[in-house]
Amino acid sequence: MAEEFQITDEMRAQIGKESEPWEYEVTTTSVRMYARGIGSDDPIHYDVDFAKSQGFRSIVAPLGYIGTPVFLPGKNDPTFGFPRREGGPRLNIPFRGLLDGGTETEYFDVICAGDTLVETSHLADLKLRESGRPMLFVTNEAVYKNKETGKVVAKQRLTSIHM
Amino acid sequence: MAQVYFEDVKVGDEVPQLKKNCSTQQLVLWAAGSGDFYQIHYDKDFAQRTGLKGLIVHGALKNAFLGQLLHDWAGEKGHVRKFGCAYRGMDEPDQDILCRGVVTKTYQDGGKNYVELDVWTEKPDGAKTSPGTAVVTLPSKN
Repeated sequence: MAEEFQITDEMRAQIGKESEPWEYEVTTTSVRMYARGIGSDDPIHYDVDFAKSQGFRSIVAPLGYIGTPVFLPGKNDPTFGFPRREGGPRLNIPFRGLLDGGTETEYFDVICAGDTLVETSHLADLKLRESGRPMLFVTNEAVYKNKETGKVVAKQRLTSIHM
Repeated sequence: MAQVYFEDVKVGDEVPQLKKNCSTQQLVLWAAGSGDFYQIHYDKDFAQRTGLKGLIVHGALKNAFLGQLLHDWAGEKGHVRKFGCAYRGMDEPDQDILCRGVVTKTYQDGGKNYVELDVWTEKPDGAKTSPGTAVVTLPSKN
């Protein structure tokens, strides 16, 4: 089935369909955990007093970290943690293999521990590589707003590869 | 690290390289930090069942390494406005990953000093596994 896969009009109709909003939390613990994960030793990611002395509200999220989606059993993917929201794009993809294809992030403000962000996303693009083993490139665009101020703090473009 | 200023930067300059080498423990730490628990990054049998040779480093972790490269270079008065990369090649645990960046354009707009860069991760044989771009604003000396 996968060898005969084609992007259907029904799938293309999902492009642009926006998801319901979901909250992403940025906490002191999650910022430190992410910073440990990348191997940073910059105190701006660990030491609240130091971060405040530099003019920030709290410790600063490392680049690439835009909070952790609130996890509700049965409503989030157990492997990847992302929310499985009602509404939003639905794709019936027959491929079992999955790889990350790329990430691009644009920042409009600094993200700090204590921030709660509200994310919405939409399917931005579908591309099929037809030569060789078929690969479906799925690109989603997400917008993150600070829950308190309503200001857009980041936009992210994520591509996944299904094969 | 000393603050880099816009006036000191020119096209072709390379930012200080950042060398990484991920243990499987680091991959698990990052999984905990990011919430991405895809088994191909810590369960070798699972990874091999999907057709991979073995465990691989998360693409988004390499993206975050490039973020750290830029954060360290921009300094406390610089700002990373945009960065990203494509995951074109796989990297394995216990293998050096060199994070690099080269300035491709400098300009001023709206009172800000912009620097554009090509960024990438590189395997020990020189192959670029995560090519991308970045936009950073830097302070002026004046």
